[in-house]
Amino acid sequence: MPKPNEKQLQMILEDMVVARTQAGRLWNLQRQGQVGTIAPIDGHEAAIVGAVHALETESDWVLPQYREPLGLRKYGPEVLDTFMLYNLGHPAGGHIPEPVKVAPSQISLGASIPHAVGLAWGMSLKDESGVVLVFFGDGASSEGDFYEAGNLAGVLKAPVIFLCINNQWAISTPTHLQTAADSFASKAEAFGIPGLTVDGNDPASVYEAVSEARNRATSGKGPTLIEATVYRLGAHTTADDPTRYVPSEDLSDAQKKDPVHTLIHEMKERNLWSDAKQSEVETAALERIDEAFEKAKNTPLSANSLMDHCFTSDTERQSRQRSFLMHSIGESNE
Amino acid sequence: MSEKVSELSMLEAINETLHSEMARDERIVVLGEDVGRNGGVFRATEGLIEKFGENRVVDTPISEAAIAGSAVGLAMAGLVPVAEIQFLGFSYQAMHQIAGQIARLRYRTQSRFEPQITIRAPFGGGVRTPELHSDSLEAQFANIPGLKIVLPATASDAKGLLTSAIRDPDPVLFLEPLRGYRGIRDLVPDEEHAIPLGEANLVKKGDDIVIISWSYQVELSKRVAESLEEDGVSVAVLDLRSIVPLDVEALTQIVAHCGRAVVVQEAPETGGFASEIIATINDECFWSLEAPVARVSGFDVPYPVGMLENLYVPDEARIRAAVLKTMEEE
Amino acid sequence: MAFEFRLPDIGEGLEDAEIVSWYVSPGDVVERDQALLEVLTDKASSELPSPVAGTVLELSGQEGERIKVGDVLIQIEEANSNSDQKTSTEKTSKKIDKAEIEETDTPSEDKNNFISVAPKVKASPATRKLARELAVDISIISGTGPSGRITNEDIHSAVETANEVTDSTSTTAEPITDVEKSSLVQGERSGLGYMKSGEHKIKGVRGVIAKNMSASWSEIPHIHSLDEVDASLLIDFRNRLKKVTHQSASKITPLSIVAAATVRALKKYPMMNGHIVGNPAEKVMIPPFVNLGIAVASDSGLLVPVINEVDNLDIFELAEKISGLVELAREQKIKAQQMQGATFTVTNYGSLGGALGASYNLQRSGWHSWSW
Repeated sequence: MPKPNEKQLQMILEDMVVARTQAGRLWNLQRQGQVGTIAPIDGHEAAIVGAVHALETESDWVLPQYREPLGLRKYGPEVLDTFMLYNLGHPAGGHIPEPVKVAPSQISLGASIPHAVGLAWGMSLKDESGVVLVFFGDGASSEGDFYEAGNLAGVLKAPVIFLCINNQWAISTPTHLQTAADSFASKAEAFGIPGLTVDGNDPASVYEAVSEARNRATSGKGPTLIEATVYRLGAHTTADDPTRYVPSEDLSDAQKKDPVHTLIHEMKERNLWSDAKQSEVETAALERIDEAFEKAKNTPLSANSLMDHCFTSDTERQSRQRSFLMHSIGESNE
Repeated sequence: MSEKVSELSMLEAINETLHSEMARDERIVVLGEDVGRNGGVFRATEGLIEKFGENRVVDTPISEAAIAGSAVGLAMAGLVPVAEIQFLGFSYQAMHQIAGQIARLRYRTQSRFEPQITIRAPFGGGVRTPELHSDSLEAQFANIPGLKIVLPATASDAKGLLTSAIRDPDPVLFLEPLRGYRGIRDLVPDEEHAIPLGEANLVKKGDDIVIISWSYQVELSKRVAESLEEDGVSVAVLDLRSIVPLDVEALTQIVAHCGRAVVVQEAPETGGFASEIIATINDECFWSLEAPVARVSGFDVPYPVGMLENLYVPDEARIRAAVLKTMEEE
Repeated sequence: MAFEFRLPDIGEGLEDAEIVSWYVSPGDVVERDQALLEVLTDKASSELPSPVAGTVLELSGQEGERIKVGDVLIQIEEANSNSDQKTSTEKTSKKIDKAEIEETDTPSEDKNNFISVAPKVKASPATRKLARELAVDISIISGTGPSGRITNEDIHSAVETANEVTDSTSTTAEPITDVEKSSLVQGERSGLGYMKSGEHKIKGVRGVIAKNMSASWSEIPHIHSLDEVDASLLIDFRNRLKKVTHQSASKITPLSIVAAATVRALKKYPMMNGHIVGNPAEKVMIPPFVNLGIAVASDSGLLVPVINEVDNLDIFELAEKISGLVELAREQKIKAQQMQGATFTVTNYGSLGGALGASYNLQRSGWHSWSW
């Protein structure tokens, strides 16, 4: 199995620390009333960053659910810039520019899974070399879309990687109320595809599993379902109070396995990380998210964008409504 | 100039269009249940798999959500999916993908992704199908911004509109009347034939009253109009062809000209698209009306079983009665 | 200027939050993102971090107090004062002045509620359009269609009738002298009764009068009865009343005596105070009071001031009111509300001479014409 080398592990840890640091700032921005609802990444960093580092950004697509964007640093600064627009509620927050192969957040649980299958299938029809990795959670695996798409992908042998991040909680519903199956990975059997469970707190394991799945996909052997087990260390979202339902002893056990702290400790022991490096990365991460946030706040917003991009051009009815809108706020719709 | 035409059924016209469009644009992929080896349960896709192969004509599992959902991915990959939902009543299983994903894709990604997707689905009553095969759901889709809804009433229009639907960069729901597949035959141009979406067709001129309709009900409306002509009533018939986009100008012109109008739909009365038409008339040409605009609709019940079907689906007698009643209004 | 940190909506649609505990006090220096306080919302308890670095000036709530989303929590003097951000949340909702709403009420309308039962004119939009194009007022036409609906035919015949009237007027008019002709052409003569041939829009008060009078002809059943009475007793009565010691004694006129007598007659025969509703007639509405209209000639035309609930007035009060309103009407200072709601109207043609003069002005009521 292909393992990440030391250099790669350093890059993975850096991205994980950046994600954790920026998540803290983002949480505070929400608590200060400066951005909308956020789904914190805390506890998912290793699974997300480890998986992404096994992909080729030039050829491979990532279709996130909504918790992942801070972990997609490898795909370029456009991801964070767009994500901050998204958090502000700016329409441009849905448009990650070309050629970045990352789709915007998907709020409908599991709805991107059939998209991933179609995209992977389309890429193979066009003889393109890449794969599609789609993120979803343990809760989303109960949606019909997961089963329909998994089944279709198996039949088509589409080059797709289903990455189910099992963080033990679907808001407040624990996994044993989500499924009676032994594991989420075991559902692969119904699709006739391989399924495996990996330790999602260990980025190297996730990296290896995704690399393996990628090799299968690109060699025409079809999709793989990977379950990465983690523990959600934060709230479901900024609107959630997990103390109502997460047993505190479970949480403190999970905190001992915190993927970021664990890897920092391990890398320091191997002399691949230092406190100085840590502090340098954190400072840069905060500067970077502040910069992205300022840029987002300064992105112009026209009332016209309420009407733009529904169709390629307005219907007669829409253009009447657009005129009404612009007239009602006293602007011309040029 | 005379262009060559052939008399075809609507089904043959659709099949011919799929053949010619697939030959023209190799990005087109046809997917759906039984569309390949079987050529479609109505034979709409007959011969495609033989000509274009299994990669481009794909028999999918029985998975409406995956058909619609994977069409999104195919479009993201730069292909042009032409998906078939075997009966429109089963689009409910795909509704979250059609309404929540396909229709919003362009808007929510600010055109990063372009949903050039056509979804074909047969619908409509009068052929004694099992449950959920006949429902007219067009108004439900019309309430979903981002989706175009095209409903041909003739074989020739089926070719012209399907051609434009497939080529349209926006998602199009293309609804084919079950009763018209073999029941409607007319002259179809042999050559390439594309009718712009959003242009209604005044299929019959008239001065006293206009019947406004779409899909198979246009056929019935024409018959009523012709029979009333013998009674000295000059009845126009407007075929909307698409309800999104709606040809407001053509609608307004003919209603203002006649001053009286009847809207015919097969769907249940409450919340049907006929109501939207009447609201549009109210907005655009209320002062030209000489009588309240009437609606002929199905009833506000689920589409019934076979023995009750004839009571449910609007027929010529019901349309005729509505026209005459509207003519009597002062 | 101090930075005001207002309570944000941190939980998707919260209204308020309880301050659980403050972590800072006035005078404390705080860093950006440093926790300032803990709040308890309906959904969760949360620490709120400071959006800015600076010195705490003032806390706006006590522990245990509930504070609304959008209200100021804390004021901080910013360390870096070049920030242009003044508040975290703008409160923009505009309070609507209650008085503003109440002012639009017109309480006087309540008494005249019975007027509103009068049916709307029935005509299709197309007929209304035709009527507008031909400058025909559909409210003065009686419909020949189903349930009295006005048809296109009715509009056309109204135009024809109007034309006939114009024609007959011109043929029966006296020969116009050359001088008159030239002045007519130049449009210089504008006295009463003179008009150029052709169509004229009737505007303003005269338009209203014309409309009402036309409607009166079609909507009010007409009965004409002419009696001559010896009024010497009435005059004598007036002269005696004038000598009574009363502040309004001087206002007594023959008209006020006739008005008072009319009111008494109407109380005795309430049907005469009623009016017919519906076209064709559906029912008779009998109001529980008498609102008496008094026709007054003014420079802008016939005006009918109305004295409300005249049945509660004695003859002096009535005379006083008539005098006041007539004065207002003549000076054209009368308001529209003072000319609404008559149940019965009295006019006095006597000053114009002649035995009988009857003009009918629709007030959703009967019209009594009295001449002497």
